[in-house]
Amino acid sequence: MPPRLLRLSLHFLSARPAARLTRTTPHYPPRPIPTSTSSPRAYHAYDRPTPPPYPPTETAILTAALGRVPAHGFSKTALALGARDAGYLPVSTNLFPAGEMELVKFWCTKARLGLGGTVEKEGLPEGGVRGRVKELVRRRLRMNVEGGVVGRWGEAIALMAHPTYAPTALAELSRLADEILFLAGDASLDSAWYAKRAALAGVYAAAETFQTQDTSPGCVDTERFARERLGDVESLGKAFGDVGEWVEFTVHGVLNGLRSKGVRL
Amino acid sequence: MPPSHQLAILSRRSFHSHRLVSSRPVPLAKYDVNSLRRVSSAAAAQPQYAQNVLAAGGKSALTPSPLSDEQKRFLDSALRVNQAGELAAVLIYSAQTPPIVRTHPHLLQLMKHMYDQEAGHYKTFNEILVKHRVRPTVMYPLWKAAATTLGWSTAVMGREAAMACTEAVETEIGDHYNSQIRVLLDWAADLEAKGEDFGPEMKELLATLRRIRDEELEHLDHAVMNDAKEAKPYELLTNVIRGGCRAAIWISERV
Ligand SMILES: [Fe+2]
Ligand SMILES: [Fe+2]
Repeated sequence: MPPRLLRLSLHFLSARPAARLTRTTPHYPPRPIPTSTSSPRAYHAYDRPTPPPYPPTETAILTAALGRVPAHGFSKTALALGARDAGYLPVSTNLFPAGEMELVKFWCTKARLGLGGTVEKEGLPEGGVRGRVKELVRRRLRMNVEGGVVGRWGEAIALMAHPTYAPTALAELSRLADEILFLAGDASLDSAWYAKRAALAGVYAAAETFQTQDTSPGCVDTERFARERLGDVESLGKAFGDVGEWVEFTVHGVLNGLRSKGVRL
Repeated sequence: MPPSHQLAILSRRSFHSHRLVSSRPVPLAKYDVNSLRRVSSAAAAQPQYAQNVLAAGGKSALTPSPLSDEQKRFLDSALRVNQAGELAAVLIYSAQTPPIVRTHPHLLQLMKHMYDQEAGHYKTFNEILVKHRVRPTVMYPLWKAAATTLGWSTAVMGREAAMACTEAVETEIGDHYNSQIRVLLDWAADLEAKGEDFGPEMKELLATLRRIRDEELEHLDHAVMNDAKEAKPYELLTNVIRGGCRAAIWISERV
């Protein structure tokens, strides 16, 4: 979802805080799971190969550079060391005009695409979209810990907040929200589609910010934080969902309502 | 058939050309809504879909190359428009039916038949959107209100106006589906020239679009047979509605 749309969807959210995470549909992602790449989100094909998000050289350098993040942070140093580790000259970091932001983006992409992998390996809990969303958010937050980037994630957030990179960061955040809702089997197709993605993106961004300050073992406090915020969104949805529904169906609803009262329309 | 009807039909060049396209043989089995439903229901269905795709895809010597970004964008916006349009159709017919049936009880069967087909189209595109991760249009709430208003207001104007509404809408929609079918046929021809297979997904989509297009043109037929051309003021009414349809398509393609 381009940033313009994210803004639109945030507008939807403010008009209707009713992110209805409550609607459950018995839908699981079909296999093989088609994952979004770094290209703009659009039609996903199942019977055509999906090109990897980065070419092989870039993938090798960025993967090696991630290994240097715990010690050197999301920095040009980590990129240069990564290039060397992967067997390239340090000058090959000019493959990445966005510099250290590319490293941040690579991690986000890798983790996002990794979610589909966890679904193939571990499956997802039964019992509704809500529960599966919570579980996927937990897994994604856990990746920050297990990937060793959590101690340096504050730097990444500072980079993403930079005006130059904010659109990229927002686009990536909306792709993550879309990935999670798709994997969770959400099938909403009205303005709830936007409201849910906006609400989930908001909760996830808040949880990641919380995570940078989290000193609990394995960042379990962050997981609880995310679970509770998602719960808040649900109860907001319950409280305001009917209003949103009403606005949306106004004309149709008025017509049918009058008909049901015996008015001959 | 009264002469006015024959005239009316003869004057619809585009109508006849739809028929020519639609009479091409469809080389595929009909779109199986049931198999799609099974895809999206419950855990047990997961491997089955993969098997279907693999089995179908594995038959061709050359698997199709990835869709280009441009092709993906085309499918993205085309499917979004189709879903919004079918929702509008469902709402138009459901708003029209009670006033029309009250004054013309014999039209109940026809209205129900068209409504049921539209509901089927809507369901088909809903499933396609979720499966292929196409976002719905931002204008959803607006289209809902507009479609219901259009359906109800034409119906209270009388049977002819309601049918003129159907005729205008289905003419635009028929053209719209035809242009999508032409694009897919072009893609298929390009792949064939390269010795590649069109792939099961695109073949299925093409068959679905053709089937739905034919049903829309059947609705157009019914509308003309039911005196759509007698509506007053016919030109104004149909031009306004057709303009509205084109505007709605243009907007939904973008947002
Ligand atoms: Fe239709
Ligand atoms: Fe129709």
